[in-house]
Amino acid sequence: MLQFEIRKVFCKFKNRVAIFLLLVLLIATSILTMNRVEYRDAENGDAVSGIAAAGKLRAEQNKWAGELTEDVFVEAVRENARINQSPEAQSEDISEQNKAYAKKQGISDINDLMINAFSEWRDYDYFVVDRVSEEEAKQVYARRISSLKKYLDSGEETFPEAQKEFLIQRYESLKTPFHYEYMEGWKALLQNISTFLLMLALVIGFLVSGIFSDEFQTKADSIFFSSRLGRNRAIASKIGAGILITTIIYVVFLVLYTAVVLLALGADGANCPIQLDLWRSSYNITFLQAYLLIAAGGYVGTLLAAVASMVVSAATRSTMTAAIVPFLILCAFPFLSRIITLPGLCSFFPDQLLEVYLNIKDFNLVELGGRVMSVSTVIIPAYLIVCLCLLPVLYGIYKKAEVK
Amino acid sequence: MKLELNNLTKIFGDYAAVDHVDLVMGNGVYGLLGVNGAGKTTLMRMLCTLLKPTEGCILCNGRDIFKMDGEYRKLLGYLPQDFGFYPEFTVQDYLLYVATIKGIRPTAAKKRVKELIGQVGLARAAGKKMKKLSGGMKRRAGIAQAMLNNPEILILDEPTAGLDPNERIRFRNLISELSEDRLVLLSTHIVSDIEYIANEIWLMKDGRFVHRGTTDAVINSMPETVWECLVSKDMVSQFIKAYKISNMKTEPQGVVLRIISQEKPMPDAKWVEASLEDVFLYYFGEKAGEENAAI
Repeated sequence: MLQFEIRKVFCKFKNRVAIFLLLVLLIATSILTMNRVEYRDAENGDAVSGIAAAGKLRAEQNKWAGELTEDVFVEAVRENARINQSPEAQSEDISEQNKAYAKKQGISDINDLMINAFSEWRDYDYFVVDRVSEEEAKQVYARRISSLKKYLDSGEETFPEAQKEFLIQRYESLKTPFHYEYMEGWKALLQNISTFLLMLALVIGFLVSGIFSDEFQTKADSIFFSSRLGRNRAIASKIGAGILITTIIYVVFLVLYTAVVLLALGADGANCPIQLDLWRSSYNITFLQAYLLIAAGGYVGTLLAAVASMVVSAATRSTMTAAIVPFLILCAFPFLSRIITLPGLCSFFPDQLLEVYLNIKDFNLVELGGRVMSVSTVIIPAYLIVCLCLLPVLYGIYKKAEVK
Repeated sequence: MKLELNNLTKIFGDYAAVDHVDLVMGNGVYGLLGVNGAGKTTLMRMLCTLLKPTEGCILCNGRDIFKMDGEYRKLLGYLPQDFGFYPEFTVQDYLLYVATIKGIRPTAAKKRVKELIGQVGLARAAGKKMKKLSGGMKRRAGIAQAMLNNPEILILDEPTAGLDPNERIRFRNLISELSEDRLVLLSTHIVSDIEYIANEIWLMKDGRFVHRGTTDAVINSMPETVWECLVSKDMVSQFIKAYKISNMKTEPQGVVLRIISQEKPMPDAKWVEASLEDVFLYYFGEKAGEENAAI
């Protein structure tokens, strides 16, 4: 029965077009993601991007692979100063300066950490690294904590005491020194993943939007509901088909996207801390763990959109109305948060499930029962429960449907 | 098999589509005759558990069909008036799918589908997509799906609507063939569809049965007489105003009118035997309109 329900979905021309569109989006997003990685040739200063850039950048950056100890930062400051003294860096000619920049690519991530550590909070002073002394460079990890404390005390934003303590505790418990290696593949993947997940969720929502309403629209409802299993197992199998399609399409396309990007740019750096890219993150996790958290959020968001679409499909008997639901849930909410000031509530809108990357990047905290938690760790299980609660509602609506 | 309708009523807004109907049915072929909007489809939908009655109940061997749920639907085969299907499925896949939701095991389903495809004459179209079938072929696929579970109760709502005369005769014969040892309820507004195959005919009007019985009993129930007379063409409109005319046939000498009237409409009029069509006209008169056609 499940097999027939799945076939019904993929028999539809519109749904085949949707899958084709998803493939096109996969290719386009993969190309865009791959092109995020750039490499500048030290010989001529010319830039390349994509797969060719990844290989060269990997070779440069892995020269600095290992634990980022105080000595490594000191060494990076020296290297930076040495390059700054080179004739290329001193030149007024932009192409010469590009050559100097190219020489810094091996230490660019380490420089980035120092820029973040020594810039003002929420500022990015590109040239601060040129002013950092060797002694100061040893303080990179300590600066991260002290900058946070300074920011929290500045009153720029008001955090309750419990949240302040939580953030400081998180910062202090981050394991240092960081393990470092080339990680451009993961960085590029995570930076573009939210857009891809949103498109994936919208298309999946579209695919499942007709599972229930099509019975009415094709006028097959009379035979369906008058059959022996039409008001019990056949409904369960429709729900099963919706969840299975959501899961399989989500997993297949996410795995394809991940595989294409990581095969092209390299999967190295999975175990590096996310702070190498998102310096201020309060999540003490690795790139791989961040990816899994983002994927989990994306899955729950997609499932929510799909289940809500199926509920509307069963209730309104209109495929078109049901197909709009994922868009409303995932795209209209962020728009709503821009026109209505609901600072506390916006973090709990379902669109945030697809924005876990931004949640990891920023401080998005919530206090529940006296416990401070990151918003993502609350909304992912919460919306999963919402999805599970909607399933019996969906079943009930369809079971009671009358053919008038 | 015994189906009992007790005080069965279905009200849509302030309109009673089925109005306090009482009835008992056993095995046999029942023909439900009425104009569009008489309540035939609503009655059938309630019998198929697609609509819940506003009042009253339907009992199957003494048990409420809505409480029996799947157990009742296991006994049921239904061909709706607007027969919908999945256009991209082949005939075979469509029937296999319906067999699945009827709870037939896959091996038995394959065998039964093959058997029925042959029986309804669709063997050569088994691999064709449903959307590519002609009207008659779709109806045959429809009757095949209704028969998949070898139902004890077979409900056919306007099964011959839209078919050409040839297909209609074929279809009628097929229903007759399939009606053995089961309860068949057949609704139509085409009199000839049931005249030959129904054991009992029910005339339905405004949600109620106005008459029921065998074909002969229904014909004999008509308190008026049927006459045939030849009139000149310019007299026709006068007769139409004065009498119920069940047929007009133009001939070189004038027009032969078939008139339903208690009195002899003119001295030359000849008494003729009444048919079911005359009865239909007598009971339903001019109100054979399209209003509330889906009810």
